[in-house]
Amino acid sequence: MTGDSAKAERFLRRLEPLQGALEAYCRKVLNDPAGVEDVLQNTVLDAFRDFHLYAEGTNFRAWIFRYLNLKVFEFNRRRARVRTESLPEEIPAPTSPEMLAADRVFEAILESPDTVLEQCDEAISQALRSLSEQEQAVLLLRAIGEFKYREIADVLGVPAGTVMSCLSRVRVRLREQLTEHCRRQGLLPGDA
Amino acid sequence: MNCEETRRHWDLYHDSEGDGELYLQVNQHLAECPACAKWFYEQSRLEDVLVEKLRGGPKTSPTPELWNSVLAKAGVVEAPRSLARSCLFFLGGGLAVAASVLIAVFVLSRGSDLHAGPSLSQLTAQHHQSFAQGQQAADFASRSDLDVEAYLQRRVAFPVRCPPRQDTGFFVQGAGVCRLERSEAAYLVGEVDGASVSIFLLPSDSLRRFPHQYQALQREYTHRCREGKYEMIMAQIDGSVVLVVGQVDPGRLQRVLRAYGSYPHAVST
Repeated sequence: MTGDSAKAERFLRRLEPLQGALEAYCRKVLNDPAGVEDVLQNTVLDAFRDFHLYAEGTNFRAWIFRYLNLKVFEFNRRRARVRTESLPEEIPAPTSPEMLAADRVFEAILESPDTVLEQCDEAISQALRSLSEQEQAVLLLRAIGEFKYREIADVLGVPAGTVMSCLSRVRVRLREQLTEHCRRQGLLPGDA
Repeated sequence: MNCEETRRHWDLYHDSEGDGELYLQVNQHLAECPACAKWFYEQSRLEDVLVEKLRGGPKTSPTPELWNSVLAKAGVVEAPRSLARSCLFFLGGGLAVAASVLIAVFVLSRGSDLHAGPSLSQLTAQHHQSFAQGQQAADFASRSDLDVEAYLQRRVAFPVRCPPRQDTGFFVQGAGVCRLERSEAAYLVGEVDGASVSIFLLPSDSLRRFPHQYQALQREYTHRCREGKYEMIMAQIDGSVVLVVGQVDPGRLQRVLRAYGSYPHAVST
């Protein structure tokens, strides 16, 4: 076996279980679905080129997602359709899902989330698109990649505390937007 | 900790983050406050549904055509053959396939099962049962997370991480090495809420010996199943398959799985 084919085999063995997550993340976070193949291809190209820098036994998932994120940001910025501000390092004014607790519509969502959210695909996509690119990345790295806060921080090159406060803030915002959408559409379980 | 403080920590609790003391304090409050316990449950249930929506469904399979093209263009695998070469290849290949089919039909007609080996869930359930019923003791008995990690790192060739943090409810009691269908595997034994729970670790490349679990983990990040009376949940984490098994609530097993290797020193950069 040549050095190159051995390298390719080791790389593929690591990459294969992550293909679904990389693809799903890419599809969600790119503004233009036509760019998925290009972005994945450039990611794999760079990661394979640098694979000798990857230390065996360390976190390959975070390592390759770091490459993917760079390519995603690059692609989206070229199309200039995203809000590119970085995450605020300071913890923002406290927000919590509790603030929504008194809302009757939110209560109804909590009671039957499956039923209500079945009709909210577009609202969820819109809410996602309203986030900045870093906020989207934090939310989707957690949801799709199932990364720990520290790993997300490594992928994005930000402090773990920033990830924690961002995720908390984004979750509340998502809930607020869903609640507002359901209120406007009259989507309560009784109406479903 | 009062209700407001407890609810402010829901994110950390839900994501199995934060320190052990915080987790214990939250748990203590939830045990005493049914309103907060209900609130936590509802928030987590909504979050799980939202996450499924964000993922685009419960399963996320890679698209084979897309990845074939990506890997070929990135130079990781050879580009597909030209049409003429492909025709020759398929002609020769066709004969080989025909022969294989005949052999397979012959083997099947003799009553053999091509996947006759036991599944990963059966094998791990058997091992777990023998630990839980005291028929088998761990090779190395210890309640120290770090000692157990150091022991396994000396014993197996593939990367292993430390046991899940104790604040997720897993209390390690020992570890050892076994073989699962000719594959080297490591195990951790311990308790969750007083019930025996085992964690099995295998290198990811040995997963191909277990077609059912291999396919499931190609489709899902975490695969949940049941073998007899035991609940199981498994995922691939950093080149290893991690499988948690026990006769406890699947949510508790999931928390243990998520926290596998979550000590700060074990998370590499």
